Amino acid sequence: MRRRPFDVLLAVSVGLVLAFLLLPLLALFLRIAPRDLLSQLTSEVAVDALVVSLKTSLIAHAAVLLVGTPAAYLLATRRFRGRSLMLTLVELPLVLPPAVAGIALFAAFGRAGLLGDTLDAAGISIPFTQTAVVFAVVFVSSPFYVRLGVSAFEAVDPRLLEASRTLGAGPSRTFFRVALPLAGGGLSAASALAFARGLGEFGATIMFAGSLQGVTQTLPLAIYAQLDLDFDVALALGAFLVVVSVAVLLTVKLLPSWTRFTSISLGPSARFDSS
Amino acid sequence: MRKLALALAVLAGAGCGGPAGGGDSDDHPTVFGASSLTDVLPKIDPDATYNFAGSDDLAAQIQQGAPADVFAAASPKYPDELYGDGKVDKPVVFATNKLVLIVPKANPAGIHSVNDLRGRDVKLVVGAAGVPVGDYTRTLLDDMGATDVLDQVVSEEDDVKGVVGKVALGEADAGFVYVTDVEPVAEKVTAIQLPTSAQAQIRYEIAVVESAPHHDAAHAFVEEVLGADGRSALSAAGFGLP
Repeated sequence: MRRRPFDVLLAVSVGLVLAFLLLPLLALFLRIAPRDLLSQLTSEVAVDALVVSLKTSLIAHAAVLLVGTPAAYLLATRRFRGRSLMLTLVELPLVLPPAVAGIALFAAFGRAGLLGDTLDAAGISIPFTQTAVVFAVVFVSSPFYVRLGVSAFEAVDPRLLEASRTLGAGPSRTFFRVALPLAGGGLSAASALAFARGLGEFGATIMFAGSLQGVTQTLPLAIYAQLDLDFDVALALGAFLVVVSVAVLLTVKLLPSWTRFTSISLGPSARFDSS
Repeated sequence: MRKLALALAVLAGAGCGGPAGGGDSDDHPTVFGASSLTDVLPKIDPDATYNFAGSDDLAAQIQQGAPADVFAAASPKYPDELYGDGKVDKPVVFATNKLVLIVPKANPAGIHSVNDLRGRDVKLVVGAAGVPVGDYTRTLLDDMGATDVLDQVVSEEDDVKGVVGKVALGEADAGFVYVTDVEPVAEKVTAIQLPTSAQAQIRYEIAVVESAPHHDAAHAFVEEVLGADGRSALSAAGFGLP
């Protein structure tokens, strides 16, 4: 009986957390009628932003998967000097404020930046282009994928990889036929979370890529730009991104191997701000 | 249900974040000011709490019930709209401004006039339509018969600081800003004057917010801005006076 006040305290805390987190999201949907939501989503600004976001996110995500998967595999399966330093460096962009990412991208790839002259000589100009959006998205989303990917590969029983090799499979065959399928659930979850993070990218994009409808104005930038011009469009785009986020979460939760995997991988990443 | 109501009350109180301020600083008003006033207003009253952003964003925040005391906007449009909705007292013109074209000191695109903006690969940054500096820019180009230079726009910024920053960084080739934005970045940019005949009348309006939490302080602030000290500070910052 003496524990009851404590239990009540715990229950109230959970209630407050849920109310605080869900109320604004719920309010978003209550503020706009479903029919208006759909009509606003087909407005020119919204459609342009959807196309820009989809295109840049898919290109960025392809790059992240292609390079991030082997990188995560190496970091997960080999032990070498500097490994933990490398893991920490990969995590750094996760805790970095997005505005810092934007100014850092300018410092590196801008016209007046570190590689500015080299890129200029090659006739390449990155700021204010869709390439710049892709850069910003890769910069903020790839650490998510690589970090969670390392955890996914680490969760694969090393004896299975060993067995594959002793049975005569080469390293690449072991990677493609054993490690990749076994880590598949975790990697898919990592991929979904990284994609969602990239889709929501705002700070680095608005600085490094600017905001131009149909070129660099992604969904989050369109919400910001429409806030004062047409609040309903901003609301509709916001509601749309909530739906996409819910879909991503459901995908992650419904991936079968993800459940036994959460305890390992969400530990270090749960505190990472995805604003 | 009561818990939900409580949460709502907490949210309503905290909802507007940053500049809300405590109820204890009775004699210090919370001022929502246009970005272009960032440097000058604190010189007139260093003790007020400031929230600087695009006038349109600030108007939207006040419309949504942000606890502002004073609204100082870079255009008559937003204060007049809020006045029409009964959200602010009658606005008063307190300063005027004009547009200039700025280019990075190195001037990589070799721009010396609005006509040069038509060159190939010129990266022009402007305020977005609906943002005062963006609307003034479009009016000016329209008056000059030069709206085609808008084809060179690589970014439409949500406030004037975005335009200034990207040109000062040397990443954009040119941008239209207020003459009063040039001084803080004078070492990094060159200002090109624009024909007076094409200059739109840029008037700044100030108004006390109807639901001001610090009503007396708000009135005192507006008096100060309109008074001798305010006028000399505005003038020193490059503003015109009404």
